Amino acid sequence: MARKTVIRTLEIPKGWRSREAASFFAQLDELSARMFADLATCSAADLAWQSRPGMNTIGMLLAHNAIVEVYWMLIATGRYSDARLVQVLGIDGDDDGMPLAANGRPPAALRGRTLAWYRKLHDRARRFAANTAKRMTSADLRRTLDRQRPDGTPVKITVRWIPYHVLEHQAGHYGQMLLLRHLQRLPKRKTR
Amino acid sequence: VSGDTVTRLAPPAGYASVHVASCVAGVDEIRARLLDAVQSLTPADLAWQPRPGANTIGMLLAHVAVAETHLAQVGLLGERDGHVHDVLGITMEDEGLPLAPDGPPSPALTGRDVAFFADLLARAGAHTRTAAAGIADSALEVDIVRPPRPDGTRRIFTRRWVLFHMIEHAAGHLGQLQVLRRELPQR
Repeated sequence: MARKTVIRTLEIPKGWRSREAASFFAQLDELSARMFADLATCSAADLAWQSRPGMNTIGMLLAHNAIVEVYWMLIATGRYSDARLVQVLGIDGDDDGMPLAANGRPPAALRGRTLAWYRKLHDRARRFAANTAKRMTSADLRRTLDRQRPDGTPVKITVRWIPYHVLEHQAGHYGQMLLLRHLQRLPKRKTR
Repeated sequence: VSGDTVTRLAPPAGYASVHVASCVAGVDEIRARLLDAVQSLTPADLAWQPRPGANTIGMLLAHVAVAETHLAQVGLLGERDGHVHDVLGITMEDEGLPLAPDGPPSPALTGRDVAFFADLLARAGAHTRTAAAGIADSALEVDIVRPPRPDGTRRIFTRRWVLFHMIEHAAGHLGQLQVLRRELPQR
């Protein structure tokens, strides 16, 4: 039997104004490829499965990742508005249903959605984000943005942090998707 | 302005490569958030298993420290074999991953408190920073060819990929830990 060789590299795309921005998107694309490979056998029911009321579904996490990616890239360029996000993504910023109420059920907007639908949503978000980042210079990445949290706390954010955050944010929710897949297959919960 | 929260990814000084420094800053940030997320947890919380075969929060914390240290040794330093015990004081087996489908939590981690796991993560971080400091940009694309695994599989990766994997691996388990924390039985 032929021995298998696993090769893990990251190719930095050419033609970007900043190699650092290009590097972040090479990482994001690698992460997305693995994420969708791991979800390849998910049915619409698997994507809508809730471990209990109030818990996110894999579908909600996929939609959330797409929304967050577009949201932050719009923030990075100072062009965010609710309407612009809908225009880019085709769904509303609240359609992921997050955060769910303590006993909440998955949002109606995602009912019956298939993996192909989420893939399309992901690709739309990634295309927009990558096209935006492609035009960024190193000076753009060093820029500081003044933001405000919902509770009024002022926040200073460097643009460089944004693609990093999109990456680790997607990785975090990808980890949760793997956990949900694992829980779907395990016997019933026990109590302490 | 006093009271501002500053969120940035500033590559720290002291590294041969800005890219490497930036990745190390990312891993440091995620490690800090892992610790922050468990500060108020008891040893019982850290050892709580939602179902047989599922990882505990303590196992995930130990796994992040073990994996990061192993990756730094074989992936950044290019050593033939990992030797995480020398750095962390626990072995790869002690983390307990992967569990059998009906497996109980790792006995090596039972009763451990937050300070124990904080120490593991701090050791892993210090080791990674030392291992990464001298890596130049020219070394990022060099193939690291691993010895064949028992099943004959060969793995080849670059340091650029290893640094990316350190970030996304720790972030993935942070995401899982956040779910488990929310699932903890009410005290």
